[in-house]
Amino acid sequence: MMFVSRSAKRLLAVALLAMAGIAWAAVTWRVVPTTSQLSFVGKQAGAEFTGRFERFTADIYFDPKDLAGSKFVVDIELGSVNSKDKERDDILKGPELFDVKRWPKARYVAEQFTSKGGDKYAATGKLTLRDSTRDVPIEFAFTPDASGKNAWLKGNAQLKRLDFGVGQGEWKDTQWVGNDVRVEFALRLAQ
Amino acid sequence: MQLKNSAARYGAIAQLLHWSIVVLIVTQFVLANQAEDATSLLKKAQTLTLHKNIGMTVFMLAAIRLLWRWANVVPAHLPTVKPWQQRIADITHWALYALILVTPLAGWLMSSAKSYSVSYFGLFTFPDLVAPNEDRYQTFKVLHAVLAFSIFNLALLHIAAALKHHFWDKDNVLRRMLPVKLRGDR
Repeated sequence: MMFVSRSAKRLLAVALLAMAGIAWAAVTWRVVPTTSQLSFVGKQAGAEFTGRFERFTADIYFDPKDLAGSKFVVDIELGSVNSKDKERDDILKGPELFDVKRWPKARYVAEQFTSKGGDKYAATGKLTLRDSTRDVPIEFAFTPDASGKNAWLKGNAQLKRLDFGVGQGEWKDTQWVGNDVRVEFALRLAQ
Repeated sequence: MQLKNSAARYGAIAQLLHWSIVVLIVTQFVLANQAEDATSLLKKAQTLTLHKNIGMTVFMLAAIRLLWRWANVVPAHLPTVKPWQQRIADITHWALYALILVTPLAGWLMSSAKSYSVSYFGLFTFPDLVAPNEDRYQTFKVLHAVLAFSIFNLALLHIAAALKHHFWDKDNVLRRMLPVKLRGDR
């Protein structure tokens, strides 16, 4: 009896762990930093420019079959911004825009996911930038490789920089630097 | 005054192109100096934006002007202009034509190299000509400045010659580029 009971307990424990795993963290993905990209596109004097964040971490728990248990936590090092012009990068990092000395990181947390058909999904999450936290919806495509061990997570979001206070003093002016900013991401995921 | 050139004078279109480019280039020098003296980065950027918009306008007007020149008769040199003066005048004119095309082009290259795409008054964006690169940017910056300096000096020579002919020789060299009657016309 004891023997059977121990096996049963073990089985129960495994079953519980498996269920817990599904409930809390659909599938845990690791982001491959070398091929993953996180950037934003702003408008300056009518022309678009791109800034890329060279350092960020992302905890991606995602399973199309378990959207309720899926979650994204992305930490972005704002000081790693690269817009291919040092002068502009310094302005971005400065006190009137990101102010990286006071707020070195931005954080995005998404927990509510909906399917948009096919490999398309949408999520609402909270973006914390400077001292503001606001809802920012994202749309993305999740495309696993045939093996299922790797996947691409590609999507974008729209936000208004002034909602987060990115633009103090003369940078509040949206004539020269537009208020609308598009965030684009292409994350290479591995299990 | 007719729209097209005649053997005796420049027509209305050639004159309009000539004088509008004059006004725009003078504005360019003023804006370039204002940008250098700007007290804030935003002011500097705004001034440079206008400078780029006007520069691209000069570039396009210069292209139209050259096409118009080729599609037209060019007024002949006047007998009051000596052969050596004709040669210098021709060289100066062609150098100025080249400069009003190449100087904006160098500015465009400079913007591309600094990763600032050039928008045309927000209507559309010109394509980037080169990939961003700091050394490349510095090279085009120097080139742009040298070309602008050349325009300034050749323009001085051009103006001096026109005034000399107008006031000293009392001929039609300046008048034929102005919407006024030519001397000797009835």
